[in-house]
Amino acid sequence: MRIIGLFPNRFLLLFLISSLSGSLLTAQTLTKKQKDSLYLLNPSQERIQKIKKSFAKKFVNFVGNDISLYGGLVLSKQTINDNGITAPTNYLYNDLNTNSFNSGFNGGFRIDGIYKEKHRYTFSLGINRIAAGASYKNIHSLSPFIDDFTHFKADNVFTTFSFTAHYKVLLPISNRTKYKFYAVAGPSFDYKISRISNEQLMNGAGNRAFLNADLGAEFDNKGYYILFAHYKLGKYLANSTVPVQLNRFEIGMSIKSKDLF
Amino acid sequence: MKTIYTLLLAAISLTLFSCNKETATTQKEVIQNLLVNKNWFLDYSITKGTSSTTPTVVKSYVGQSTYFVTYLKNGTTKDSDGLTGTYTVEIINNQSQIHVQLITINGNPFEVIYDIISVGDTKLVLSKVINAGNPTQLFFTNK
Repeated sequence: MRIIGLFPNRFLLLFLISSLSGSLLTAQTLTKKQKDSLYLLNPSQERIQKIKKSFAKKFVNFVGNDISLYGGLVLSKQTINDNGITAPTNYLYNDLNTNSFNSGFNGGFRIDGIYKEKHRYTFSLGINRIAAGASYKNIHSLSPFIDDFTHFKADNVFTTFSFTAHYKVLLPISNRTKYKFYAVAGPSFDYKISRISNEQLMNGAGNRAFLNADLGAEFDNKGYYILFAHYKLGKYLANSTVPVQLNRFEIGMSIKSKDLF
Repeated sequence: MKTIYTLLLAAISLTLFSCNKETATTQKEVIQNLLVNKNWFLDYSITKGTSSTTPTVVKSYVGQSTYFVTYLKNGTTKDSDGLTGTYTVEIINNQSQIHVQLITINGNPFEVIYDIISVGDTKLVLSKVINAGNPTQLFFTNK
């Protein structure tokens, strides 16, 4: 636990990303020494080749992978249960309880393919900027002084890094050689990368990881682009004194990266 | 290759599940932020009777602004009676408290401990800790 405290998450994540990306970087201009080393056994390049071969062997059944970039609008609302808070804080209920879906945005890339030439799938990695409306389940009062208040103030604007795995079913609608409609479902995972406020951390309420269940529909226009609409229902992955349910609607578009670049 | 995967998995797990960064001072910092740099005006004081036959004494000062107290960010406090001193926010046995050490106008030291019943942006409820009898609850507002 002490090691966890000493090395903050963001540094670990940065280290991981930089070490992975660092190994993939190649020099633009080569010195004489570097040119000489090209003829010699290069351990890092050899390692990359090994990884590529290993991936190709393991994912031999995942074919027809298309990489696309996506972006969209995210409408979010979080439902908050503050019963676990013991701190004597009060926040006026009417100031916080918007009970609405607020708009944010997301972006990233996705891989669409077919597993064993039968099962269509999508894997996507992205960043979400979430601005969530709030619905507080409990209303407290302290007569005769404070009418309606809540003990907890949730962060309503935050950024997450997300990973999604969707299973796609082709729907028998329209001319399927041109336009394809899919029903999609699957899990997704969100990890808060923005700072969590002290109010959100109090009494063990803070949590960074969300697990979501996704359901949605997608429209593929001759492979040029995909329009998608997803609903996501998310809950904290770990236990929290303040359980939060995050409801989201994502509406957006993805375009194949080879068409863009 | 297995070592790389294991290390990668360990690093990701550590990143994901070391998520709670609450410290011992988190709650105190939140309370302090809600408390400081405001003039807290006394609206009500309520003292419950010492027995079932003794009535509760409710005093209302709404709109009168007869008494106010200010807690400053630098840890000092002053009130409308001219008392000045220092204060600290503490949590003793899960009870949040304001520990105030004052100097009277005559220069005598004076110590008061308040239990924090509720603290917010605009409303503050304190209960004065006393040795005997029922405590008096003080209801403050800053608007």
